[in-house]
Amino acid sequence: MSDLERRYLRLLRAYPADYRRSRGAEIVGTYLDLAGPGQRWPSPADAADLLRGGLRQRLRAAGAADLLPGVRLAAVLAFLTATSLAAAWSLLELRPPADLTLPAARPFVSLGIGAWIAWLLAAVVYALAPGRWARRAVALAVLLTLGLVPAAPLVGLPRPPLFVLLPQIALGLVALGLPDALPAPLRAAPPVAVGVVALAGTNLHLLSPERFGGTYYIWTAVPVLPVAAVALLAVAVLLAAGLAVRADHRGIWAALILLTPVGLLALQPLAGAMDGARTSVAVWSELAATAVVIGVVGPALLPLALAIRRRPTRSPNLTPR
Amino acid sequence: MDTPLREPTFLILTALATEPMHGYGLIGEVAALSDGRVALRPGTLYGALDRLVDAGLVDVEREEVVDGRLRRYYRLTPAGEATLSSETDRLRRNVEAATARLRERATGATAPRLAGGLA
Repeated sequence: MSDLERRYLRLLRAYPADYRRSRGAEIVGTYLDLAGPGQRWPSPADAADLLRGGLRQRLRAAGAADLLPGVRLAAVLAFLTATSLAAAWSLLELRPPADLTLPAARPFVSLGIGAWIAWLLAAVVYALAPGRWARRAVALAVLLTLGLVPAAPLVGLPRPPLFVLLPQIALGLVALGLPDALPAPLRAAPPVAVGVVALAGTNLHLLSPERFGGTYYIWTAVPVLPVAAVALLAVAVLLAAGLAVRADHRGIWAALILLTPVGLLALQPLAGAMDGARTSVAVWSELAATAVVIGVVGPALLPLALAIRRRPTRSPNLTPR
Repeated sequence: MDTPLREPTFLILTALATEPMHGYGLIGEVAALSDGRVALRPGTLYGALDRLVDAGLVDVEREEVVDGRLRRYYRLTPAGEATLSSETDRLRRNVEAATARLRERATGATAPRLAGGLA
């Protein structure tokens, strides 16, 4: 057995064992037929192809072949929400507190402006070049959002609170599943949403310059996240119901995937409800405990749903007739 | 299987229309049919073949071992032939409609088209 064959066999472990037994020799044989003379290593594209194929087969064996389309749908909805929120927070950032003794990263409210601009640029990249470049732009925006946490104490400037950053990071992680090709109206949706939020910032009562600015802790800023949570959940549930009527279950998977970011967006009211006092702004310990519960329970729902839906592994019928 | 077929699926069925083929042969034939535009990788090809076998459009004709490598030959079933035929008809109708419209455009026939009856 050559080194190349051994390496392909190692990559083949991405597939379920039953499938490897019935198809493994044929798949590896085809790769070896296609290999160039003297080739010793599988190309990165071959490795990605095998890993993708293995994941697809495992999902198929778990009775969840429609999970990947669900991931893509969830990614589109998450990205639209994340860019709309970034637009709203950018408005807030452009309005630092008038009192010069208050801490601020002037001429902005906080360091958050750097991350929000990265999100807005990601919306532009997504409209112009969906697929790999859009996913890279989302990954960069997620890293910059995450980076605000260590950066703020290092430079001694304020950052947006964690209850703002956490849902943004969760939405970004879901948005990493953005598909390669999308119809133009869907590609245009995030930049259009950003424009709508910008217009709302000058005209809409609660987002007007007099009420929305200075700090993330004002009473007009705090409800932005729960409103986004309700809107995202409503759209996801309606889509899931509409698609399920046509026996298309990807909407259900998308709604399940989005439950974690939705929970984090609704962190304030959920944490407030936990202590029974129903305060509009929960205390830090309540927020932290609720975020941990959402962070554990939310992602666990997907494997749980897969386990419930699991069916006996079925290999294709490859017997000559 | 859902129709309209995706392009790689359509090309796989087209490649099998003339004779049974193994995976390696199919990859080359699909590339030739699409002028090199559709380059299937084995992981993707066998995933598509699994779905076609499950849908009853393709089945395994025979197996052989060449240079120690297993090769399975796939062939189009009668259901696969019917699906390919109806897809080809659908695409032909689309091509004919597009060709006619483009010809009208080229000859300058710009009379407005009425969507409904006259009031």
